[in-house]
Amino acid sequence: MSIKKIIALLLLCIVIACAFNNSYAGDVGGKEVTSLDHKVDTTNLSGVNLWIADLYNNNKLMYAIVVTLVMAALGTTMAFGTDLILKMFGMDVTKISHRE
Amino acid sequence: MDIFNISLPVAGIEFNVLLLIAIGFCVGVLGGFFGVGGGWIVTPALNIFGFHMAFAIGTDLSNIFGQTIGAVKKHQKMGNIDWKLGLISIITSVIGLEIGSQVILILEKAGEVGLVVRWCYMVFLFGLGIFMFYDYFVLHPKQLQNFEEEPENNSGATPKIVKTERSKLAERLYTLKIPPMVSFPASDIEGVSLWIVLSIFLCTGFLSGFLGVGGGFIIMPALVYLIGLPTVVAVGTSLITVLFSGAYGCFSYALKGRVEIVAAFIMLIGASIGAQIGATAVKYVRGYGIRLLFALMIIFAGLSIVTEQFYKMTNKPLFQTFAGIVLMGTAITMTIIVIGKLIIESKKEKSLKINN
Repeated sequence: MSIKKIIALLLLCIVIACAFNNSYAGDVGGKEVTSLDHKVDTTNLSGVNLWIADLYNNNKLMYAIVVTLVMAALGTTMAFGTDLILKMFGMDVTKISHRE
Repeated sequence: MDIFNISLPVAGIEFNVLLLIAIGFCVGVLGGFFGVGGGWIVTPALNIFGFHMAFAIGTDLSNIFGQTIGAVKKHQKMGNIDWKLGLISIITSVIGLEIGSQVILILEKAGEVGLVVRWCYMVFLFGLGIFMFYDYFVLHPKQLQNFEEEPENNSGATPKIVKTERSKLAERLYTLKIPPMVSFPASDIEGVSLWIVLSIFLCTGFLSGFLGVGGGFIIMPALVYLIGLPTVVAVGTSLITVLFSGAYGCFSYALKGRVEIVAAFIMLIGASIGAQIGATAVKYVRGYGIRLLFALMIIFAGLSIVTEQFYKMTNKPLFQTFAGIVLMGTAITMTIIVIGKLIIESKKEKSLKINN
């Protein structure tokens, strides 16, 4: 899959999520999702954990963008890495015939 | 095992890293192999092991988004994705999903929505599972009798192709020539009414919204039995919808403060590896093999929901524990089967290549 397609899909999701923030993922299965009135206690935190907690407490939009981008980046990187390892074990894939 | 415990800053709990990676790995394998998100495994699993339900759902969706990227990439490489059909499914499913959600809200006002949804969920899972068994053990052998099998190809790289008819239901739907007609060359579909395709995705979207699930396990069989896609193309194409709902859910839940990023990150390490393994395994399993395993998986998922229902009715914790065991047991067993199949078949392929 091309990077362009992933980015386009990501942008589409962000736009829809902002526009319909209280619908789709919010009320599937009859469970309405409201924002959590939850603050992280930062007194014993340091380093990355402190940064994450501060971001979570102060700017939910930025937190959401960071979470989405981190997941996309890690997912893509791990996919490339695992693909290379599987190739080394002779499990490379190419176009396959569809057999039932 | 305490040395593997890490602090999760947002959820405010400690959690075992190995457990997170293991859950991620299992759901990744199943996601890549069946074209599903696997939320029905991860959310209860995280909840059982101490996650607040609010964080379990959001963290699960973030993990689904990340793991599906790798699975989609792999399926694309194998030619298992029909992008045109996938994009239509996303747009139409969202509309169906909204309708499903609205019906839920109406039912909620009438009371007992949870019970209605659970019963519908059980009927759907058992109904689909039994139909898939019937297809595998009764319809498929009959279809095979109508076709001559092609001679075995011993090159190893390109396995034997057994031509089978599309499902009877798909064939019947093809006869409805309501314009405009569309074709999906990537799925070998020459002409089908756009209205049929839209109606199917509207229904799958509705079910997604009504049952409160991501949709992969509804769309995959719908693509096989109603639109007539080859199983592996159905697996790859359903992942497009899963990717979309995962990306959307990830952002939406994070915006509401319901994603534990550290847990999602660690789980994704296992899930990404698993998704690549699961997606690679479809190369070695026949379409009907995938369908059989899928049927088994949803029957056990249904059993777990029945047990959960007993717990709600009797309030005996034993039933809840049993539901968790059934769920995790199914996920682990299926993962072992998929990996075992991958190892055995890839070894066979290697030895065939060496012999040639």
